[in-house]
This record gives sequence, structure tokens and C-alpha cells, in this order.
Amino acid sequence: MCAILDNDVVHQVFGTRRPAAGLEFFRWVDSGRIHLVVGGKLRRELGANHAFKAWLQQKLNAGQATDIDDAAVDRVTAALVAAGSCRSNDQHVVALAQCSNARLLYSNDADLHHDFKNRMLIARPKGRIYSTLYGGDLQESHRRLLRTNRCGPRS
Amino acid sequence: MDQIRLRDFRCFREEQTVRLAPLTLLVGENSTGKTSFLALIRALWDVACGKQLPNFKEPPYDLGGFDDIVHRRGGRTTPGDTFAAGCRFSYSGCFFDMDFAKKGTAPFPVRRRLSLGDTWIEDRLDAEHRWRVSYATSNGEWEWDGTPAFESPPSVDNLPADESAGMMPFFLALLLPSRLERNLGITALRGGSAPSDDDWLRIEALVSRSRLGGFGRPSWRPHAAAPVRSRPRRTYDPAQLTRDPEGDYVPMYFAEMSRRSPEEWAVLQRALEQFGKEAGLFDEIAVRSLGKDEVDPFQVQIRKHGSRVKGPYRNLIDVGYGVSQILPILSELLRADAQHRFLLQQPEVHLHPSAQAALGTLLCQIAARDRQLLVETHSDHLLDRVRMDVRDRTTDLTPDDVSILFFERGNLDVRIHSLCLDERGNVLGAPPNYRRFFMDETNRSIGL
Repeated sequence: MCAILDNDVVHQVFGTRRPAAGLEFFRWVDSGRIHLVVGGKLRRELGANHAFKAWLQQKLNAGQATDIDDAAVDRVTAALVAAGSCRSNDQHVVALAQCSNARLLYSNDADLHHDFKNRMLIARPKGRIYSTLYGGDLQESHRRLLRTNRCGPRS
Repeated sequence: MDQIRLRDFRCFREEQTVRLAPLTLLVGENSTGKTSFLALIRALWDVACGKQLPNFKEPPYDLGGFDDIVHRRGGRTTPGDTFAAGCRFSYSGCFFDMDFAKKGTAPFPVRRRLSLGDTWIEDRLDAEHRWRVSYATSNGEWEWDGTPAFESPPSVDNLPADESAGMMPFFLALLLPSRLERNLGITALRGGSAPSDDDWLRIEALVSRSRLGGFGRPSWRPHAAAPVRSRPRRTYDPAQLTRDPEGDYVPMYFAEMSRRSPEEWAVLQRALEQFGKEAGLFDEIAVRSLGKDEVDPFQVQIRKHGSRVKGPYRNLIDVGYGVSQILPILSELLRADAQHRFLLQQPEVHLHPSAQAALGTLLCQIAARDRQLLVETHSDHLLDRVRMDVRDRTTDLTPDDVSILFFERGNLDVRIHSLCLDERGNVLGAPPNYRRFFMDETNRSIGL
């Protein structure tokens, strides 16, 4: 079970004031039931958060997070930029999903939501969005996303 | 060996199969059976390749008698209790499995089976304490009543003179297909009344492929190093060299080699110094004789280099314990006549984390030279360095060449999880509790 955490919500999962939905996401990735995937530009962005960095190191050692080859992610990112097929400027997040087959994204970026649900970019299985854009309370829809999340085969 | 099977052995109750690789790291809490596992591997080698009964009390291990070794469900052993162990040999794909029962106070193999697919050769001790030898292929199973032959073995010229009687039946069974008149004393247990020529060919092919009909070279016996190594001394007296798990002999070995084979010593010295530099322990190592004769005492000295000048030579006893404790391990790994297999218990003890990481790199280098290392460790730094060296391809080891065995205690039993690495150094197959303690500590530290 794999997920991607966007840089715009990292504070909601690893910060001191976490909304209920952010805390629940943390519980799932911390328990190892969902593996976070990192790689490419997103890893470098997330690395600026010291709590996340320390946590990730332990998770990688424990086999409960997945490190995707930076070069591969950067190559796909460059191809997406060249193709101009994304509405958002987060091609590196879409690229990471394509390389890792992670299909659950925690993000509050509406343009990225659109890209992640675009079947021309993310398919088999389709992308799903975990968001607190309309409030940080924990909803049943949040729980269902975490419970039913599946990670497709790695390419 | 690339696979180990065990059941009812020490704290391992359920039947388990674990993967070994050129570099296998054993991790887990204290008292979860890591050392017992290493002792079992040496015992398996001794029976399968060394043609000797296993000694579970030979240093550096002391697992005690049968009652201490067999898994005791209710706290006491019963007469019918057995434990099982087996391995697969990577070069042939053949399995070698054994059951042990109590004889006197010690474990004794009462069943041995060599198998490949549905072809096997087995000997077992029956209720009347007679050895029963049987063969099987996909076409049937046959028992050979060869007891009389054991009293006057046919031309078994390559059995060692000190062969233990208990080991005879099995190795005779391996030799028999090609040495006895076929089907004499054969009784069918399943399938055809007697093995056909094709069946015998398959059985002979199994023996020949397994190479167990021959005898393992002594240099193939795993070198087992103790977790507590010899204390350094200010001076050493030349003495007879007897290899021991604690490495008592190592200073004498250095002195002897520096006198008798300076070229060989120079090679070893360079290898030691290279690790010493990478680990930040020392830049030079030397043997200094305190007299002119061979019998005079000597010292082992090391030296660090400053940025501009070289420091003074210091006696081994005057520097940190880390140096004297790692030297026996380094010596065994780097000497020209090094063993092919190593069973190391916490080689990192007393080393600074940076030296532990350097040791991880060295273990990768040694394992990449067609050696097999099984390393019991509590060092995160060593483990992490191996993971990164594989990921960054700074070692010739591939992800398949590394196995991490996680010993997890559940109630009173222990389960061994075989974890592996992918090309990015990601740990695959880890159970939820793997490194739980470290993660909880980190979360607490960063306030999560």
C-alpha cells in the first residue's frame, strides 16, 4: 500500500499542530500499513522538513517507506514538462506516481488533484486524493481512502 | 549453503525456512536465537561436509546437551522428542536434512536425507535401533537391508580412519549405488519391486551432483568468531599457533608471518592498514621484536598519521579497545589463506559508529570475493552501510547477494523473517515490528 505526500501538506502530517485527518494519515504511514514513496524533486523538497527527514530515515531502514531512483523520476518529470500535459506545475509528483505505482496522494493543490485524476496521466489503478482542502476534520471518506488504498506493481 | 530449514531447535518451534546469501546479516533483540542459528550452521556443515558428528559445545558456542537444544513446549523433554535441521547447497540445489534425537545427553542424528526434487537417499534409526537405508525416485521407494555390510564395509577407501560409527550408514548409502551389486537386499516400499536402471542413474546423479560422497576441505569449514575477543597484552611471547575463536593467536600469527614470510606479511599489513585508515583506527601496524632471537618477546604497535607528521608508534594496549577487538576479525577475513565461510558474532563491538560503517563496507568487499559471511550484529551503522553500498553500487554485491534475517520473538518462540534488498537499497519483506523500537524512539525525539 503506497502513498505520496505532497510538500504543501507535510506540516499537517509532521508538524506540531496537525488536523485530525493529517494525524490519521500519519498513524497509517507510521504503522507501516501504508508505505510512503519518495524520490526525485519531491524527496528534496520534503527533506527540508527535519522531522520528516528523521522519520523517513527510520522508515527506509525498516522497509516501511520506498525510495525510488531519483534519476528515473527526474527523467519522467522532464518528459512530462516537455509534453505539457499537466495542468499543475507538480510534474515531479505525477512522475513519482508513474515510477512507483503509488496511487494515493495527500495534497491540497487543486491543479495537482486534477492531474492525479487524469487517466491519461495516472491509470491502472486510478489515482485517489486525500485532502484537507475543505476542512481538516477526519471524514469517513478519509478513512475509506486509507483502508482501501492499494499499491500497484512497481515498474 | 543458500537455505536453512529448522524445527524444534532451541527457541524455534515451528518449521521455518530462511534464505542465506553471500552476506547474511542476523538482527534482532537479545536472546532471540541468533547465536544458536550460527551454531546450527556449523553443525550442518560438520555433518554434511565434514563427515563428523556435530559438537554443539565446541567454542565459541555452547548450546549444552540435547535437553538444552530441543525446543521444550511443556518445559520438559520426552523420550520421543527430536529436532530437525537442514540446508540447501547452492552449487547443486540439493537438500540435506537431519532429525536429531537424544543419545546419552547429546543430540545424535537419527535421520539424514539427501534430496533433489522427488529423488532422495535417506538413512534412519528405527525403533530397534537398526539403521534403515532407503532410496526413492518418482517411480517408487525402496529400502535396502545393508546392515551386515556396515560391519565389513565394501571398498570405502575414502572414509577417514576416525570416522564416527554413527556417521557410517549414511555415507555408505551415498557410496552404495555405484559400489554394490544392484538390488541385492532391496525391498519395495512403494512403486516397482526394484529400482530400474533409470532409477539408479537418477540416484547416482543425485550423489554425484551433491558432492557429498567426497569430503569437504578443512578450509571450507566455517570460521566461527567469538563475540568477546582476546584482551590485548603489553608484550607477547612467541608460542605455538593454534587458531581459536577469540583470536588469542593473532599477535603470534603476525609475528610469525613477519619473520618467516615478509612478503605475505606486507600484503596483510597493507590490507589491515587500508581498513585502519578507512575506519579511522590507525594508519600503520607493525610487529616490534624486543630482542634479536625468535624466542624473544614482541609487541604489536600501531601508528596514526597527523595532517603533517606521523605520530609515534603506540602499543596495542595503549590505544582504544576497538583496535584490539577488531584485529582478530580483520586477520581472519584478510589473510591469504582465509576460510570460505565465516560465522561472526557482533564483529562491531567497541568500534565507533564510523568504524562500524567501514566494517560494513569491508564485509561487502569480502563477500563479493566468493566468500560467505553470516554476521550477527546490533549495529545500525553496519547495516545501513551495506544497504547504501548495494544501492550506490560501490560494491560488487548485488541486492540478491544480501540477506537480512530478522529474529522476532513472539510469546516464547522465535520466528525468523528473511528480508532482502532491492536495487535502491529498499528493505523488502519486513514485518511491522521490524525496527519498531528505533521508530518509536525517533518519533519521541522529534515530538511526533
